[in-house]
Amino acid sequence: MLSRVANSICWIARYMERTNGMLRLLRTNYISSQDEVADFSWHSVLRLYSDLPSSQTEQIKNNSSKVLDHLILDTNNTASVCNNIYRSRENARAAQDHITKEVWQCLNDYHHLVRDQQIHNQIRYGEPLTPMDALIQHGMLYYGTVDSTMARGEGFNYLNVGKFLERAILSADMLNIKLAELNADAARPPDSIEWRYLLYSLSGYELYLKTYQGKFETKNVVAQVLYDNNFPHSVLYCLQQLTRYFERLKEESLPDSYAEVEFLIGKTTNHVKYSNIENAGEKAQQYFLNEVRRELFQIANAFNQYYFGNP
Amino acid sequence: MNENLLKGYNNHDHIWDEMFDSADIRAAYKNFVSAIEDLSSEQMNHKDELAKKLFMSQGITFTVYSSGEGIEKIFPFDIIPRIIKADEWNHIEIGIKQRLKALNIFLKDIYHQQFIIKDGIIPGKLIYSCPNFLREMMNVDVPFDIYTHIAGIDLIRDDKGEFYVLEDNLRTPSGVSYMLENRGITYRIFPDLLPRNNVRRVKEYPDLLLKNLMMLANSKTNYPTVVLLSPGIYNSAYFEHTSLARLMGIELVEGSDLVVDNHFVYMKTTKGLKQVDVIYRRVDDEFLDPLVFRSDSILGVSGIYSAYRKGNVAIVNAMGNGVADDKAVYTYVPDMIKYYLNEEPILKNVPTYQLEVPEYRKMVFEKIKEMVIKRTNESGGYGMLIGNAATDQQIEDFKIAIEADPRNFIAQPIINLSSAPCYINGCFRPRRVDLRPFALYGPDGIDIVPGGLTRVALKEGSLVVNSSQGGGSKDTWVLG
Repeated sequence: MLSRVANSICWIARYMERTNGMLRLLRTNYISSQDEVADFSWHSVLRLYSDLPSSQTEQIKNNSSKVLDHLILDTNNTASVCNNIYRSRENARAAQDHITKEVWQCLNDYHHLVRDQQIHNQIRYGEPLTPMDALIQHGMLYYGTVDSTMARGEGFNYLNVGKFLERAILSADMLNIKLAELNADAARPPDSIEWRYLLYSLSGYELYLKTYQGKFETKNVVAQVLYDNNFPHSVLYCLQQLTRYFERLKEESLPDSYAEVEFLIGKTTNHVKYSNIENAGEKAQQYFLNEVRRELFQIANAFNQYYFGNP
Repeated sequence: MNENLLKGYNNHDHIWDEMFDSADIRAAYKNFVSAIEDLSSEQMNHKDELAKKLFMSQGITFTVYSSGEGIEKIFPFDIIPRIIKADEWNHIEIGIKQRLKALNIFLKDIYHQQFIIKDGIIPGKLIYSCPNFLREMMNVDVPFDIYTHIAGIDLIRDDKGEFYVLEDNLRTPSGVSYMLENRGITYRIFPDLLPRNNVRRVKEYPDLLLKNLMMLANSKTNYPTVVLLSPGIYNSAYFEHTSLARLMGIELVEGSDLVVDNHFVYMKTTKGLKQVDVIYRRVDDEFLDPLVFRSDSILGVSGIYSAYRKGNVAIVNAMGNGVADDKAVYTYVPDMIKYYLNEEPILKNVPTYQLEVPEYRKMVFEKIKEMVIKRTNESGGYGMLIGNAATDQQIEDFKIAIEADPRNFIAQPIINLSSAPCYINGCFRPRRVDLRPFALYGPDGIDIVPGGLTRVALKEGSLVVNSSQGGGSKDTWVLG
């Protein structure tokens, strides 16, 4: 496969994963904004997904529909959902002969859906959960289409490499941000509601209830998000899947390139697997998550260098 | 019968209409009309909307990148097919084959011994002054002596229904994906009508093309690597490039994916470099190799020309074909057919006056209202003046430009293109059409899939069918 095409395919998956993660996070945040008695602030979400100057974020941070408009629909916001979908589709255009027609049409439809006037009106002036659900559902359609139409060749493997790499980064980031929020506000006791929302955003709430019988404790949440092998968003699960799909690329790799990337993936997986950080203090946890994040970026860079020809 | 559909279909006497023969419906269209005449306006509108939706959701679009993020546009499509009878098609087919054969010999001749100049059939001056004549191609041997692997010949019909060749497109003709997609849409909006009308298939096109491309490398390897070289996603024909690559199962590459080493061409893959044997390129000559042609090109590949010259890679179409589809050289195509093949041309040329000749220039200036003036090296409906539609100022500007550089202009009498019915605002309206069949020239001979791209000028009264100028397209049915 062409290096450029492999790169594009990897980014199709990364942008789609990012889109999905972001939509779920926004959905949960919106619900919590309706739930809370105190003034809900979108501050931390805006800091993550917006390039507005802080003077402007101050203005909109308490206005849910303005924030959602900006984060989902604003084409001027580089990190917005509609730009992520657009970029995923542009990458798909550049790799059209290596993804199935169905996957291309699905991404193309997604692109048109997020530009649909009805979705815009609902988010701006109406009840935003319905359009957000519609968007999330279309994202699920994408996963299903990839799974049931793509041949199990290089293209499929790169899609999964991109997906699990991005998902690992997202999970580590979301956990990290939540820990920082709770740390910053020492007066506030670690509220079970906060952890609930994090788990909602990562689609891990039901699993948590079953595993820990409703006892919300920091160390349990950290354990699930980092180590749980049955939780498809846990960092360790993602790394193991990444290893699995990467190993399938061995035949199509130069031996030296394969060895370089394999080393980094293996190192990071073991670093996470044997860390036992759930019992450490919150500062140590944050330090650890930052390290993992850096290692994940190193893996992405190694792909760039050894597989995608972007030294 | 839905009275409104056909009511007020005002075809003119001095224009050939594809569907109507003065008052009656032509035989080729009878079946089709009887199948749809009972449909209500709602049903027809529904079909029209369905067609648009299908184009959009399948991403059969071209992108206009004006302000950062591109705007998606669909190439306008009219749901009423253009229908061609079997005997008309046979005439077109043998005519194009004859013409292409002559043009191909001409290219071989002009880049080798140049008998046609030495025998005084075509003035050497005309060839050497053609901006698309590539000296770099002199004495380069191309595989099987084939230059024009893929050709799109534009045909029009005059008021008596006779076919004329308006233009030969021998460089990188586009539009074939629309021929294929339009058919795919017709299946959806008019179920059962295609088999019932015995419409011939067009979907062999990618298979025929791939077969030809593979054969070009046959002497070197059993499993040649064939790629399609595209300028990239910002090119307006990018959809066509991806769909052809997909239909043939070949790699779609961009210039930056290729590299030349020791006069061999390789593509950069995740597993290192892989040699490329055949390149179907959709990049123009001048951008192909920055070392030889335009040095500022980033669409091409440095060194590809020398690899081509050494015969290490086959490039389709050959470089330098522009000299044969130059609009001034066009005048001589009938002479080429007589000279090389000793045959009478089957398809006529539109009478063409080279404005380099002072007498012609004088005559054309006197009758400029009845003339179309074209620049010889431009296409896409640009650089042309239609006498009866131009303002005095435009005419004056053109006269000045012509006097300054007469070699680069030709004039043709305005030919009233034939009209075909289009579904516009709930009823049939006549609009002008042309026809571009696609011919594939391979080592086994010339194949033309029965059909082509019918382009239509959707503006009332307009004669310009180019998509860049408000034109659209129709599905083209050749009856078996």
